[in-house]
Amino acid sequence: MAAGAALLAAVSATPANLAMAAASAAAASVDATIEPSQIALGESAQLTIMTSGNGALALPLPVVPGLEFRVVGQSRRIEIINGATISSTSTIIRVTPEEAGVFTIPGPTPKSPPLVLRVTQGNGGAPSISPYSPSSPRLKSLIPGGSEANGIRLTPDGSAFVRFEVPKREIYVGESVPAVIQVGMRDGFASSINSLPKLNNADFTLNNLSLQPERMAKSIDGKPFTLYTWHSLLAAIKPGTYALTFGAPLTVRIRTQPRGDSMLDDLLGDPFMQNFFGATVSKNITVTSPETAIKVLPLPAEGRPAEFSGAVGSFKISTDLSSATNTAGDPLTLRMHVSGSGNFDRVESNMLAGDGQWKTYQPKASFSQADSTGYRGEKTFEQPLVALQPGVQTIPSLAFSFFDPGTRRYETARSAPLRVTVSPSPADSAASPPPVLANAAAPPGDAMHGSLRPDHAEAAARTDSLIPWYLRPQYLGVASTFALLFGGGWVALHRRERNARDLRRQRERLRREAGEACLKRMASASAARDTALFFSSARSALQQYLSAAWQIEPEHVTSAELDERLGPDADDIRQLFVLADEANYSGDAPQAADFDRWTSIVRRSMLTGAPP
Amino acid sequence: MTRFAAWGPLLAALVFSAGSSDAQETQPQSAAPPEARQQPQAPAGYSAAALYNLANAYARAGKPGLAVLNYERAKLLDPQDPDIDANLQRVRDASGLRPVPATGLERLERIANPTTVAWMGVFGLIVAGLCMLAREVTPAHRGKLLAAALMGFCLLGVTLGSALAVWPTLHEAVVVGHAVPVRVSPTLIEEPIFTLPEAEIVSVSGEHDGFMLIKTGAGRTGWAPQANLGLIVPPRP
Repeated sequence: MAAGAALLAAVSATPANLAMAAASAAAASVDATIEPSQIALGESAQLTIMTSGNGALALPLPVVPGLEFRVVGQSRRIEIINGATISSTSTIIRVTPEEAGVFTIPGPTPKSPPLVLRVTQGNGGAPSISPYSPSSPRLKSLIPGGSEANGIRLTPDGSAFVRFEVPKREIYVGESVPAVIQVGMRDGFASSINSLPKLNNADFTLNNLSLQPERMAKSIDGKPFTLYTWHSLLAAIKPGTYALTFGAPLTVRIRTQPRGDSMLDDLLGDPFMQNFFGATVSKNITVTSPETAIKVLPLPAEGRPAEFSGAVGSFKISTDLSSATNTAGDPLTLRMHVSGSGNFDRVESNMLAGDGQWKTYQPKASFSQADSTGYRGEKTFEQPLVALQPGVQTIPSLAFSFFDPGTRRYETARSAPLRVTVSPSPADSAASPPPVLANAAAPPGDAMHGSLRPDHAEAAARTDSLIPWYLRPQYLGVASTFALLFGGGWVALHRRERNARDLRRQRERLRREAGEACLKRMASASAARDTALFFSSARSALQQYLSAAWQIEPEHVTSAELDERLGPDADDIRQLFVLADEANYSGDAPQAADFDRWTSIVRRSMLTGAPP
Repeated sequence: MTRFAAWGPLLAALVFSAGSSDAQETQPQSAAPPEARQQPQAPAGYSAAALYNLANAYARAGKPGLAVLNYERAKLLDPQDPDIDANLQRVRDASGLRPVPATGLERLERIANPTTVAWMGVFGLIVAGLCMLAREVTPAHRGKLLAAALMGFCLLGVTLGSALAVWPTLHEAVVVGHAVPVRVSPTLIEEPIFTLPEAEIVSVSGEHDGFMLIKTGAGRTGWAPQANLGLIVPPRP
């Protein structure tokens, strides 16, 4: 009784909810289905109105004469797919005809297509079973699970399925075929898809899988399902026969009470009601598609072109140039367009190879896909070229090889040769006069440069180089040789003079030291009253000094040399030389006072540097 | 005397070298520049007057890049010609290029004909060297010899200054194309970073794969297509 009261409260509340719901209609989408579309009088059909999006719609109940509409349930669902939150509302309306006939039910929104319900007489019409009937065979086949038809295999609880479709079951290695993966989730039973569907075979690759699936509502066996569809490209890595399956991790609600105690599910047929009256828990499961057998054939080795890069599909090529005229040295762009269907990721081309006519650069490629997976489209190669020589040049035809699965053989597509007129570059024509001067009476630039100073008379003499003489290697070599010779000679002479000066200085130093030694001997001889030694030392000291001054050897300083060089102003020195000779040969000893006088004369002459 | 007799062959080599140049001037067909060889009707070799007239022709034809290129080449051979400077400045003004003031070294370059400047250098070197040697050998007249050596050094300095002034020109090029794109690398795939106006003079510091590494007067560097640049001093074949 309590459950029945709650049901009545819920049913009576749903129209109010419909009326109270208000939001921006532009952000929501509405879909309506009626199942079955043909019933017998006395039976009921189920009208399901699904709204999805960020807003809710205020949907009044349709008014059709001869039909009774009653809301039996409403559920709101929030799904999280790859992080994106999608909310949807499902409203179940029971449609009970009051008479036989064909009824047109207006759509929930002005843009929605109308629905048609055919109501036959009780026994004479086509057999039809209300989805709310506990004896509905389709409901039984769906809910208990395990049914498989049209590539759909429901989970045992009937909450979801995964389906996988490819256009062909026999493909070649490397060939890309478009694949469609569908995940169906029964409204109210499956709550979320936890990740993208996964291919359960490592020998295949799944490329360009769309991140956000297409979403649509569909009734399967009278049950509302939401279909999520992904598009992708399937390619095989190696030959063989394989059974492919796809798996999708989902979160579903599972009843915790025995099915036998939950006859209300079948009675109402709506998950909202089932969840309301029966206890459920959430559980993560992986739904797997039925196996799909695919045979992978190897690419034939026979007839494989040398330039085959692995492209498998159906392609055609064309070429064009950025300009039909050009200047030598200026870049051109050669484009090759490869269009068709197949594995465009393996479509490669080296384009034009460089030669004496063309300087080529590495081409770059761009792809413009015509569908969501990139199975169809156009790949464009752009190669910069530089014409090296002027004249009418021909760009040879370009070739592109691929394997066509339709014809089961290798094909080579060729483009038509291209012609381009190349004019000489300005730098090459710098030494030739402009052609406009040959026969033009009024050159075009003359007005601008009319005040140019006049031309000069040309002399016959010309030079082979613009480089001035003083920067040419011959000149620099000879001048450098001169500079080295002069510099070397100057250095040699300078060094010789310096060495001679150093030698003189050394001699002077030695003589000065010898003079000092003589002075010491003079002092010791004076103290010992040794006349011969005294005068001999004095004469030696003066000889050292005079020889340094006169740049002669000390032994050459004699009395005769003194007479010649000193003249009459050096009587003391001359007398000292005489006394030295006398002391040496006669032993005549002067007085002690004479030692001091002669010592002062010698010392003064040597220490003061004054000429004797 | 015997010491200086060894320099005789060097002087003879220098004179012979200059003489061989004169011989080439009278027989220019033996070493014609590549541009001239591609134009069989044009006389081989260079002359200042011919280049000047060619530049005038390009200027009147509305090709300022080629006009400036030939004016610059003519100026190398005859830097004293005021007509070259006047017409060059006029073409640059007409092209919207800013005037380039002459530096001190460039003014020094214009004091004489390049060949005369070259001989001045040799003469100054010989005078300075001999005087410096004489000062070492003979102590007498050292002051006079020093003065003569300084005079020789001055003549040599004029030649060196002219060489320093001309040296950058050997690595310069004139933009002969219109709005020449300059890229960061020597490939056509890169987007241009700036464009060069026609007739602008840029310095060239490298060459690779049909491109030249250039530097503008404003200090911007990049790679420009070689076909759009004309070297003021073309490489010898």
